[in-house]
Amino acid sequence: MSPTKSSFLQMVKFIKRDKMLLATAIAPILAGLAIKFGIPLIEKGLVSLTGAREVLVPYYGIFDILLAALTPVMIGFVVAMIMLEERDDHIDKYLFVTGLGRKGYFLSRIGLPAGFALLVTLILLPLFCITRLSIAEIALLAIVGTLQGILISLMVLTFSTNKLEGMAVTKLSSLIMMGCLIPFFVPTPLRYVFTFMPSYWTGAGIAEGNALLMLPGVGIAALWILILYKVKD
Amino acid sequence: MRLRNLLIWDIKFQARYGFYFLYGFLTALYVILLLSFPISWKANAAAILIFSDPAAMGLFFMGAIVLLEKSQRVTSFMSITPTKALEYILSKVISLSLTGMLVAGVLGIAAGGKNIPLLMLGTLLSSVIFTLFGVIIATKTTTLNRFILATVPVEIITFVPGLLHLFGITPPQGSLYPPNACMDLVAGKGFPIPGILLAIGLIAALMYIAHRSVLKMWQSQGGVKI
Repeated sequence: MSPTKSSFLQMVKFIKRDKMLLATAIAPILAGLAIKFGIPLIEKGLVSLTGAREVLVPYYGIFDILLAALTPVMIGFVVAMIMLEERDDHIDKYLFVTGLGRKGYFLSRIGLPAGFALLVTLILLPLFCITRLSIAEIALLAIVGTLQGILISLMVLTFSTNKLEGMAVTKLSSLIMMGCLIPFFVPTPLRYVFTFMPSYWTGAGIAEGNALLMLPGVGIAALWILILYKVKD
Repeated sequence: MRLRNLLIWDIKFQARYGFYFLYGFLTALYVILLLSFPISWKANAAAILIFSDPAAMGLFFMGAIVLLEKSQRVTSFMSITPTKALEYILSKVISLSLTGMLVAGVLGIAAGGKNIPLLMLGTLLSSVIFTLFGVIIATKTTTLNRFILATVPVEIITFVPGLLHLFGITPPQGSLYPPNACMDLVAGKGFPIPGILLAIGLIAALMYIAHRSVLKMWQSQGGVKI
């Protein structure tokens, strides 16, 4: 077994012991069900309450974007917490000097879980989305969502030196998902301030109904990941 | 005197790890958000924000604070000093509640709240409850992921009824439930005396459990009883 694979499996065992494995498996499905069946129900209630023809319908796309972002971000948080602990206990430095190496460590802690998150998102998104999404949209939403998850793990590790700072950064880093709201609500000249956020582009792609607009999001997310990985070096 | 020293130490600890910077940033963000909401939303939005963040910050951060102290072996050293478990808990509760009240006060003013002292009292009560829950869970957990997972049930039994109560979906007796009474205060919707008394009773019970949990934590290290 390669060192990366055994390091990954060791982490999975860790998460399983913490019961977090079960939670990460169930939570995206619960969230998916809540969006698929809860949101239309709330919409019905709001329509009868306000008398408007539609209230949430124009924003249904936002729920799909958040659904695509949820699994990777959650997995990103869980692995970040484990890496924070390994750093506080100085285990990571020992692992770096084994056959695993620094690269193998990051691959087993961030890369493989992200690949898994991508797979889960590609399955769950078409099942639970509440707007009509094309295959290109599903793929791009899942890819940007996954890169975002990686970005969050790296942000937590880069900008914190211990658990407490890590939790503080975790709280802040979850805001990077909210960029998808900008193209829906912020007027044009001002909204361009937020184009550095990958999630801005998923929002723009869905708001404009043009999947190609999500491509810059992939590039920007990849660039941020590269920068953070280099800073960490 | 010991309590004062502990309090200063806790505040320094929190300042050093960017806690106040984080809340400065979040407060600014929340204020911008509140100011951009239509007037009819402001009061409820502020109540939700305050109840779920500055008031509940103890629940979220206590795990990281206590677990970091555990990995720095601070908790074991505590047990050989004259510090009492109650002082240790009070210092944590006071330091986090003060920050919470300050943030809540700013948000209340930004939302145009009329009764800021009542809002601060609501924040204080809920902050003490959340922080004590945080202390109890943190002393019993060993990893952050375990801590976060263990806080989920607490969030469900406090936030869900609190939110339903805010939107008037609960029956009138709902104000008896301590989190709902706190929500009434935070939202400026009244002064439910029986609910507040029950909240104080809950605090006393949680304080008792937290005290026992801290003593137990102090006497063990890395799974071994000392």
